[in-house]
Amino acid sequence: MSGSSRGTKSEAVSTAEMEKSVLRLEVNYRGIFQKSLAYRITNDLVYAAHSEGKTAFSNGRYSDDPQRNGVPCANFAFFSDALSEDDLEAVASASMDIDRANVVVVLDDTMVKGLEPWGHYGIRPINEKVIPGGTLLIVSRRKPEELIRHLEKKTFDYNIAILPGDQSFAGLWYYRDDATDVRTIAAVARVAPEIVGIHSVEEYVKKKYNDAAKVKSLQEAYDSVVVREVKQSEGIAWPHSKPKLPSWDSFDEGIVVKSVERGFTLGPRGQNRNPNFKRGTSKTQRPVIRFDTCIKCTLCWYDCPDECFDPTADGLYDVNYEYCTGCGRCAQVCPVDDCIVMVDDLNFEDNSSPWEMYKRDAEGYVKWLEEKKGKVRFMPSPVTGKGVRHTEIKAAVPFKQDGGN
Amino acid sequence: MTTELVDRKIYEREELATGTDAVAHAVRLADVDVFSAYPIRPYTGVMDRLAKFIADGKFDSEYIIADGEHSQFEIAKHASSVGARAFAGSSGTGWLYATEALAATATDRLPLVALVGNRALDDPGAFGVEHNDAMLVRDLGWLIVWASTAQEALDTTLIAYRVAEDPSVMMPCAVAIDGGYLTHSQHIVKIPTKEAVQKFLPPYNLGTRRMHPDNPVSIAPQINEDWGMEIRRQNWEAARRARGVIYRAYKEYNEVFHSSYANPFFEEFMMEDAEIALIGMGTVTSAAKAAVKLLREKGVKVGYVKLRWFRPFPAEELRESLSEVRAVGVIDRDFAHGGPDDGGVLFNDVRAALYHSSNRPQIVDFIGGLAGREISIEDVARMVRITANHKGEGELVTWIRVREGNGAGMERKGGD
Repeated sequence: MSGSSRGTKSEAVSTAEMEKSVLRLEVNYRGIFQKSLAYRITNDLVYAAHSEGKTAFSNGRYSDDPQRNGVPCANFAFFSDALSEDDLEAVASASMDIDRANVVVVLDDTMVKGLEPWGHYGIRPINEKVIPGGTLLIVSRRKPEELIRHLEKKTFDYNIAILPGDQSFAGLWYYRDDATDVRTIAAVARVAPEIVGIHSVEEYVKKKYNDAAKVKSLQEAYDSVVVREVKQSEGIAWPHSKPKLPSWDSFDEGIVVKSVERGFTLGPRGQNRNPNFKRGTSKTQRPVIRFDTCIKCTLCWYDCPDECFDPTADGLYDVNYEYCTGCGRCAQVCPVDDCIVMVDDLNFEDNSSPWEMYKRDAEGYVKWLEEKKGKVRFMPSPVTGKGVRHTEIKAAVPFKQDGGN
Repeated sequence: MTTELVDRKIYEREELATGTDAVAHAVRLADVDVFSAYPIRPYTGVMDRLAKFIADGKFDSEYIIADGEHSQFEIAKHASSVGARAFAGSSGTGWLYATEALAATATDRLPLVALVGNRALDDPGAFGVEHNDAMLVRDLGWLIVWASTAQEALDTTLIAYRVAEDPSVMMPCAVAIDGGYLTHSQHIVKIPTKEAVQKFLPPYNLGTRRMHPDNPVSIAPQINEDWGMEIRRQNWEAARRARGVIYRAYKEYNEVFHSSYANPFFEEFMMEDAEIALIGMGTVTSAAKAAVKLLREKGVKVGYVKLRWFRPFPAEELRESLSEVRAVGVIDRDFAHGGPDDGGVLFNDVRAALYHSSNRPQIVDFIGGLAGREISIEDVARMVRITANHKGEGELVTWIRVREGNGAGMERKGGD
């Protein structure tokens, strides 16, 4: 008889019955900066749900790399009031990533622009996993409409919920206890009481922290969440390519990846770069450049760890935001006051070349840029662990007519 | 007056050569670009001979001495990745020390050919043959072939390059030869001409995978769960395709060198109408053949199968070959302590293959020849007797030529 594999008869199995009681929660966070925060949120939710007699567990997406600055990562938590631990594990978590979630938590609102997790390629929409009627819960100071304009249009209605707050950095280096942990748990209880009720959360937080301020912020967060329905007509056509996974017999054998061809010309997008891994979704802020006050010292181009700057024929340095991770190094080394400034990335619609805009209309560009800077300026501190320095904006340097020429 | 013993168009001369000499000739004739070395008996014989070829101006190759076997095989792997035909070899624990590089060479699909001069694994330190060293890589994507004569070692090394470098295979190949018995004994070997070898063996071509300044590539990136299964599946298919390539390679070798390899995977000796069959690998073949001949003279219907290719394993072909026998005895020059029914590695592979046989013969195992111990004609005759008389119940494994006592001293060990 032949040694070839015997056909296996597939049994018709439906997990629909088991699925009925399963609730999934995803927490999107930024590598390093929010790792501890995300773990605390999913773990505390599991404990609180467990106190209600539910089966629950949490895990982190194994293929992520939360030890890389700003890289989008995800934690998951699963809940059921009917299934055993084994059954919940089998139904909800036998895969390395989840394909749907009742609640998608976003701890940094700039992630609404898309996710390029380490080890994946292509850029995924933040609302990819939200199920019909599910909730996208975002910690943000923005109005829902300001965020929806970055979201992919879906084929069904769902909810967006805003928990008013700043990007909280509670990561590998230090834990800034601004109560974002317990506030987020309260917000989950508000948008999805079927996962855990606010009373259970309160009991759990009282017992764990024994801290009146923490308990107080629970109720404040619960009350301040803004929920709004997102109609399927709202959102944008996704501008990025999404991951495509080829079958085993449709890609070359031998684990060899063609390198980025060496190539360099002056001008915007002048350098050859890796089209499959751009890393730009790691940033929360982007450098904006006053080309009119630039002294052409080359330091931004020289110091950029991601080689995002493209020298132009007029001696200026354009920046490719698709590849910029927002590290702030260029703003730090720029010797000209306010020539390169880090600005909230959500203020910008796209990654088009700032140098081209400047060349088209220099004065219009400077005016546009100064408006984008907003009221508060963020500058990452050069000393690890000290957080960010908030600087009140000074009067903008007037546009220099002959600058940059 | 001397007689012309070889065809001068194909063979340049005959030479009294050890197994390692024979492999060294094959490496020279294959025009290997880079070979890396670290001394260990019995592999050292190849190093010595290749160094002499270079010193004599007969061989132009990069000869790189490493600081240990791990580096040695890393060097060979990297050489292979830039498009250089590479060679390396080791023995026993030296081969094991290179394991990380060996695994990566296979998963990187680089067609390195390596010699394993089989040697017992330490401890205790021993030089003698055991097959466990080469078998270490049996599941990693290496092709593994055993040669049992010096001539076969030379032929097989050339064939190994042909198979490994075939565009549809691209897998590393280990040529295994028994330490001491084959590596160090001298036999008359026909040395092919370079022209004939070039007719058989096309140049190594890595194609677009070749790492070169004109073709910048990254090899072996970190992947995640989205890719691993597909990459393993590719390798699985390549190992299956290798079977067909092995048939073609021997056919081509026979054509160029007028040699007579019939079934490339194994040699059948007196298997016509055999009721009892023994199967083994390596130099035990001489004793096995002699015993079979003597027993045939006495009317015992016995035959012997000398297995060459261990990976890919010729399950289909073995089922065919053993379809008429009623009992099979497997000679394991290896150990697999605590394995299924406490049998050796080869035993359980053969047994697995015969599970799907329409005529499932009785199958028993013989563990013998470990750490270089000899296996005699009488030993093989005993194996035939045990195989023929075994009822298929009770102990399936017999240790051959191990010193047995009266069992005193076993009580306190809790054995039954």
